[in-house]
Amino acid sequence: MDKGNDILIIDDDRDLVHSMRIVLESGQYTVRTAYNGKEGYKMIEEKLPDLIILDVMMATDTEGFDLAYKLRNQERYRDVPILMLTAFPQKMAEAGPDKFQHIMGEEWPVTQFMEKPVDPDVLLKTAADLLREA
Amino acid sequence: MGLAKELVEQQVFFRRELSERVGWFIGLRWVAIVFAVLGTWAGHRLELQLAMGPIAVTIGCIAAYNILFSVICRYLRRLSPDQERPFEICAHGQILCDLTALFALVFFTGGFHSPLLLFAVFHIILAGILLEPMYAYVYSGIIVAAMGLLGYLQHVGVITPPIEVFNRPMFIQGHDAGERFLIFAVLATAMLVTAFLVTSIKRSLRVKGRTLLVFCKELDAANAKMNALYTMVKQMAVCADFQELMDAATSGTARIMGVKACSIKLLDEQHRVLRFASTYGLSQDYLARGDIDLDKSPINQKIIDGAFYTIGKIEEKDYFQYPENILKEGIASMICLPLKVEKRVLGVFCVYSEATLSFSDQEVDFFALVTELTALAMQNLKSELNKAWFLQKAAHQLRSPLAAMDTILKVLRKAYVGPLNDRQSEMLLQCERRIESLSNLMQDLLKLGMKRADNGPVAMRPLALEPLVRQLASVFQTEARERKVDLTLSIDPDVPPILGDEKLVDDLFTNLLSNAIKYSPPGKKVTVSLEKEDDGRICLQVADSGIGIPEEQIPRLFTEFFRAENAKAFTGQGTGLGLVIVKEAVDRLRGIIKIESREGRGTRVICRFPPWQPVLKKG
Repeated sequence: MDKGNDILIIDDDRDLVHSMRIVLESGQYTVRTAYNGKEGYKMIEEKLPDLIILDVMMATDTEGFDLAYKLRNQERYRDVPILMLTAFPQKMAEAGPDKFQHIMGEEWPVTQFMEKPVDPDVLLKTAADLLREA
Repeated sequence: MGLAKELVEQQVFFRRELSERVGWFIGLRWVAIVFAVLGTWAGHRLELQLAMGPIAVTIGCIAAYNILFSVICRYLRRLSPDQERPFEICAHGQILCDLTALFALVFFTGGFHSPLLLFAVFHIILAGILLEPMYAYVYSGIIVAAMGLLGYLQHVGVITPPIEVFNRPMFIQGHDAGERFLIFAVLATAMLVTAFLVTSIKRSLRVKGRTLLVFCKELDAANAKMNALYTMVKQMAVCADFQELMDAATSGTARIMGVKACSIKLLDEQHRVLRFASTYGLSQDYLARGDIDLDKSPINQKIIDGAFYTIGKIEEKDYFQYPENILKEGIASMICLPLKVEKRVLGVFCVYSEATLSFSDQEVDFFALVTELTALAMQNLKSELNKAWFLQKAAHQLRSPLAAMDTILKVLRKAYVGPLNDRQSEMLLQCERRIESLSNLMQDLLKLGMKRADNGPVAMRPLALEPLVRQLASVFQTEARERKVDLTLSIDPDVPPILGDEKLVDDLFTNLLSNAIKYSPPGKKVTVSLEKEDDGRICLQVADSGIGIPEEQIPRLFTEFFRAENAKAFTGQGTGLGLVIVKEAVDRLRGIIKIESREGRGTRVICRFPPWQPVLKKG
């Protein structure tokens, strides 16, 4: 199977998006960017990316989760790996999905969490792993 | 209130009285027998011509039936202490026996002229005290009739008392009918007046007794109400959610006040519309009519303006927006009060009753108190939530640029945008470290702030410390290895659980252990121990052989932002909030904390917690 290399970053922090783009492009990936959930969804509809890097809190505290949930509920988007950025990966893992059950049911709608601030080496490795698994 | 029913229940009080009095009656009879014997003996000594034989037999009979009644009475008391009827029959039996015995004695001591007849008064008094008032009159009637009959029979000579002891000296001379009738009239009047006096005194005592009972009941009810209110307020005070708080208020109030329904309507921000926020006992149909427009509901406007309303009859008032709905719902009267804190109105609190004019002044006052307390609880929760919300928001806003900055610096330092020389990457690394410590400081501040904002109790549950401590400590093994610190655990697997919350133990232990490792130079040892002490308390210790704390600075360790001098010199990292967080966690776990330290030798932090005591439930 051909290894995909189309990554979509959805985050409202433009500086952060810019840095991640530099890092990922250095790894020979094609990077597209969106600055909110709605814009991101439109880009996913246009062309299905091989990996989505998604921020949790954008305009609302759960915008990232809302989008992830929306994707997971649709057949054609269900299998896209989602790497979710959060300042509290530890807290999320500990709390479990219960706390967010009202928005997403029983399971996390994402493939993996990643801590902010982003370490570029970790980002590259995680992206490569997720793309390989997908 | 079912006053009548309660009073019927309270009759027990009077029934008991009857059973006690019947016993007392028997005791009294022994005294009477003693006096009868003494009297006979005295008469004998005074050489009166007494019919000793019949009198002795009569006294013997009295003693015999008294023994019989005392046995019956004891039997009744064991069998049915709270039933009135058997005691009543017993009392009648005794009075009738007594009267018979009395008339026998009267006859043997001179018949109609015997002053012993006066003793009949006692029986009227006793009947009046023990039995229904009617019987006082019945017995006085019987006595008067018996007395008349005795006088008549004696007068016409059908019966002749054996000896007329009291015939001549006591009463009017001669034996003619007119005189005898006069004596009879005086005695009969005395008997009837006695009956009247006794029954009226008894009646007024009973009325007073009942009034007292009613007061007792009311006092008791008021006390129960206050207790229920106290419980409700406590429940509201620990609510972490607005809806939960208002639901506790409406359901609690409806229950305590015993009304059909209860509602809280909240005012919108423009102060134009009232929305049902929490209701208890109101139908969906009633709520479906939607919000209340203050322009169309003058009464609600007035309530908002500060007036408070009790409406005895809904149909009489014409200032509701939906009067027909209210009637259809079966509501006949209501009290509505503004929920306000100082001058700020939050909404309207109402209780609804199915009966017209059903609220007394006391109930209105009580509801005013409920409303005031509810408003305070709401205001309190609102400020708590605001604080927590603000902290969370502020923390996120502060962290975001830091995270972005850190990411950018890392991208730069790791040469993703071009090569750097060693000096340049070293300086970038310094930047990253400073950002990291700033980020840690914020994390601690946030934790502390959240804890203080969140005054409500954490969901405490029995918590086994052993696995938790093991798991938390395992996270630190890597860090300890990196710093070449030897981290060892000494954990008693049989330590009983404490009443606690995982999050609190996490905050506490993580901070202690990270301090112990952070302030231990390479090659030193950190020991975590968990054990049960002899007094049953659970002791968690974190000991290190690190830099220690100067003695004079130990008391200041729990002060915000305080860091010991040697700690500052040892590492730039540290916020001065860690131990404050630890202290708060220990307090909330109802434990105590103690720090022992010697500079240069090491530090030992000892936390002691009470063990969890399972509440034993019967059955």
